[in-house]
Amino acid sequence: MSTQPLTSERLGFDDEGDVVEHYLRQGWTDGLPIVPPTVDKVRQFLEYAGRSPSEIIATEPVRGRVVTAEKVAINSVMAGCLPEYFPVVLTALEAMGEPQFNFHGMTASTMGAAVLMVVNGPIATELGLNSGVSVFGPGHRANATIGRAVRLIISNVTGAVPGQLDKATLGHAGKYSWCIAEAEEVSPWEPLHVERGLSASKSAVTIFAGLSPTQVANGASHSPEPILTSLSDAMFAVGRDQTELIVVLCPEHIGYIKSAGWSKQQVKEFLFKTAQRPLSEWEKRGALPQGLGSDDPDALAGVALSPDSITVIVAGGAAGGFSDIIALWGGGSNSRSVTREILSAS
Amino acid sequence: MTIATRLEVLDPTTAPIPVSAVIAPRPETLNGTVIGLLANGKLNSEPLLEYVQEILADRFEFKAVVTRNKGNASRPCPTNIMEEMASQCDLVITASGD
Repeated sequence: MSTQPLTSERLGFDDEGDVVEHYLRQGWTDGLPIVPPTVDKVRQFLEYAGRSPSEIIATEPVRGRVVTAEKVAINSVMAGCLPEYFPVVLTALEAMGEPQFNFHGMTASTMGAAVLMVVNGPIATELGLNSGVSVFGPGHRANATIGRAVRLIISNVTGAVPGQLDKATLGHAGKYSWCIAEAEEVSPWEPLHVERGLSASKSAVTIFAGLSPTQVANGASHSPEPILTSLSDAMFAVGRDQTELIVVLCPEHIGYIKSAGWSKQQVKEFLFKTAQRPLSEWEKRGALPQGLGSDDPDALAGVALSPDSITVIVAGGAAGGFSDIIALWGGGSNSRSVTREILSAS
Repeated sequence: MTIATRLEVLDPTTAPIPVSAVIAPRPETLNGTVIGLLANGKLNSEPLLEYVQEILADRFEFKAVVTRNKGNASRPCPTNIMEEMASQCDLVITASGD
């Protein structure tokens, strides 16, 4: 247990309602009420994770911001987290501090990205993280509050307040909260964190700078080709040369793909090949602002740079042929996703 | 009778850490200087800088002009371009042009 003092300014109020009203008026929330971050609760979170208040979790050099464990704990309490969620929030923040994620750019840009967190491994079940029915919707405390904690930290600690440093043209609902678990028990393939080099027994969070998702319906097809062609059709809207983009496959679609015996790599290769069109077609849609130049107008150019530019995740409810395309900020090249193991308290 | 205790809560925000920086000395004239034009990678950043160069060239006679494009508006300028421009140029003008 750390005996280090908490250094944040202390504010006194007569009751919880006054705290909530003050925090709302200060612009310290996402526009919704918060849980008052009392000294005891913040200490409880830090003790659960075995972190000292002054420990630096991430830095944002462009803005000269330092994210300490104390500030992560305060905002996690405010978001409504339980102490056992706190290691996931800390790990997500550590991942966001990796230069490849480009923390400043993705939280400031007009393109309006949000941090999508995908949790894998035993911790997802332990915390009750939803990977099933209405996976991107409300109703699950762990999903809702872990995602919200990260959002509150982005504005309160790193200064990306909407309208100030956050200049999103549209933004999207994922900017309130965006945290899911992968439906590992439904997937016929290795989970995302295993694909990225961790063992299945480990827990991990992968963060993406995600744009608003596009839902793709196909309830009529019973084989991989037409299902995946529906998805590649929708992928064209994302634009050319994506370094990274996400496809979230629902259980119904996965069932048919599994029955046909397809590997995850086959799915990626099929999507890559079918989401290609001639340069002349891209030009018609304004995707070649410099013009064709000397390039062959019939040469094929793809939505994805390669099959491995496509990250495939399995999630969603058992009923319904609805999968998602999630493009990443700046075509995935300005911000690369980061997978990080969630370590238990030392 | 109990005495009501005030609820003590913590400020969730962080202020930026001030960074000390010094403004580079300003040249008295642009005549005889090597100027750098650094485009930020956005579509119109190069045409914008070309226009700036045209306007300045009406008033000043440069020794040389070094033009570079950092290629990605959302990432910092690559170190090699920064070092090259710092060593070659008396001043650098940069631009963002959507």
